[in-house]
Order: sequence, then C-alpha cells, then structure tokens
Amino acid sequence: MAVVDLLTTYFICCRSVLVRELIEILAISRNQKLPQAGEESQILELLIQRDGEFQELMKLAVDQGKIHHEMQLLEKVVEKRDNDIQQLQKQLKEAEHILATAVYQAKEKLKSIEKARKGAISSEEIIKYAHRISASNAVCAPLTWVPGDPRRPYPTDLEMRSGLLGQMNNPSTNGVNGHLPGDALAAGRLPDVLAPQYPWQSSDMSMNMLPPNHSNDFMLEPPGHNKENEDDVEVMSTDSSSSSSDSD
Amino acid sequence: MSLYLLWRDDTGNRLRFQLELEFVQCLANPNYLNFLAQRGYFKDKAFVNYLKYLLYWKEPEYAKYLKYPQCLHMLELLQYEHFRKELVNAQCAKFIDEQQILHWQHYSRKRMRLQQALAEQQQQNNASVK
Repeated sequence: MAVVDLLTTYFICCRSVLVRELIEILAISRNQKLPQAGEESQILELLIQRDGEFQELMKLAVDQGKIHHEMQLLEKVVEKRDNDIQQLQKQLKEAEHILATAVYQAKEKLKSIEKARKGAISSEEIIKYAHRISASNAVCAPLTWVPGDPRRPYPTDLEMRSGLLGQMNNPSTNGVNGHLPGDALAAGRLPDVLAPQYPWQSSDMSMNMLPPNHSNDFMLEPPGHNKENEDDVEVMSTDSSSSSSDSD
Repeated sequence: MSLYLLWRDDTGNRLRFQLELEFVQCLANPNYLNFLAQRGYFKDKAFVNYLKYLLYWKEPEYAKYLKYPQCLHMLELLQYEHFRKELVNAQCAKFIDEQQILHWQHYSRKRMRLQQALAEQQQQNNASVK
C-alpha cells in the first residue's frame, strides 16, 4: 500500500500545482477582466483529465495490491508444502538407514549361522578327541613332570625315529624293520612297546583315510628319484649310514 | 624303494597318509624345525609348496587324527618366509621350545593352584572349628 500512498502524494502535488495555477489565473482574470476563459477551461479540463488518470491509477494500484496479497498467501502455502516435503524426506532417510542396518545385521547373522552349521561336530566326537589328546599328555603336561623329564609336547627325536618315517630310512637298525614298512603295517607287527605311546601307528583308525590327491606341483623330479621323499627319510639319518634307501 | 610308485595305488595312498600324518606332527618339534632350517630345506621351493599342500590337515576330517594339534599352528607359521628364515637361529628354536613347554604345563599348574587353594581352605575350616 506504500505504492498507493506514493501515487496519492504525487497526484496531490500535481493537483495542487494545477489548483494553484487555476487560482492564479482566476485572480489575474478578475483583475484584468479579460476573456481568458479559454485558458481557464483548458486548465480545468487538464485538471479533470489528471483527476481521471489519477483515479484509474488508484484502481490499478488497489488491484495490484490485491494480487500482491494473494501472492504472499500463495508463497506461504508453498513454504508449508516445502517443509512438509523436507520432513518426509528426513523420515524416509531415517527409515532407509534403519532398514539398511537391519538388513546388514541379518546378513551377518546368516553368515555366522552358515559358519556354525558347516562346522557342526557332535559333542561326543569332540569329547572323544579331547580325551585322546589329553590322555597321552600331548597337550597337557603330566602332573609329575619336572625339568629333566624327557617327555615333551611334541614328538621327540626317539619317537620320530621309531615312527614310519624313521623306520623307512633305517631298515636295518631294528629287528622288525627287515621288511618294507607296508609289510610291517599289514602284518600288524609294529613294536608293541612303542605302539601305545606313538599314536600315529594306530592303523585301525587311519586305514580308511586317504590324503587328498595332488598333482606333481611340488616340482618333483621324474619318477625314480623323488626329491621330496628324500627329505622325509633323509632327515632322520644324521647318525646312520643308510643313505641309500631312497628310491632308485 | 620307489616311493613314487606308492602314489599310484590305494595301499600307497594309505601309506602316504600315515607318512604325512607323522611328518606334519613332527613339525610341532621346534628342534626339528631348526634342523630343517639349518640344512636349507626351507629354501627349497618344492618343500615350501609341500608345506602349503600339508595345510589340508586343518580340515576337521583330517585334523581328528592329530595327536599333537599344536603342529597345525607351526604349520601355519611356516607358511611365512620370515618365520622360516628365523628358524635358522638356535635361540629362536630354543625360545619356541621353552614357550611350548610352559604353555604345556599351564593346566597342571592351574590344577595345582586350585588344589593348594582347596587345601588352604580346608585348613582354615579345621582351624575355625577348633
């Protein structure tokens, strides 16, 4: 409405100028008594014209004011809608975040379920195994152990030499070992005194077990001279002279 | 004897199983590892590949045959070149040996402590009754 006020002031000024002029001319014409009606009427007409224009402009200003007011109302409505949309956006984002977390955790749970299912072993088997490894003092020291006791948490030199590997290298050092190890195994004539202590000779449990197949990717040399087995059998022979037991 | 021929038949496979079972458990012996290191076996690529192949003993269906399951830990460590290099030192092997024995005695020490605590408690009870 400031615009209307401004216009009003302007036209008041114009009108006042015109009115002053009119009054001056009227005053002059009274003094002079000359027919200057033309000028007066001209000025009057001009005044009327100006007034008409002014009225029109006032109407226009009022209309514009109304439109402006409507625009403001609409702007407020738009702002409100914007806020609503932003609110919805926030809520959606939150929901998405929560869902994503839930999905992620569910996936993790599924993974661990799968893992647990894969590694499922009967408790009986575990107990049996635990009993086996504890009874032989393999993982827990015997209660009477003192420094100086030759028993160890790993296979000792003696045990290693008495095992299959050692015996394959030393065929002549032991009465039983006049045969091929395969024979000794088949005949079941492993030294009794060693059998209970050296657990890898319990053939009953391992007879059905086979190692995984492997290609010759250890970079083995051609058949007849198996380097890898040379290592196996040679190692024990630090003090023996039977180094010719490797394949030929 | 040609061990290579053993690879081809079933008896051979069974024997190979036994041999590998023995060998992998020997790896639990740090002195043996030191022995192997000093003789340069760990520098042989074929041997290193063999150690990698032996990792199948970690599967439960194979691991249940191990009397010394701690050998699996040594096997895992042996996959690293740094460890293989370190094993050339006798002090390294000695340190591992000592730690293994100490760990081995863990449960018996714990049991002894429990028994001592129990004995002390009983003494206290007897003393208070009197």
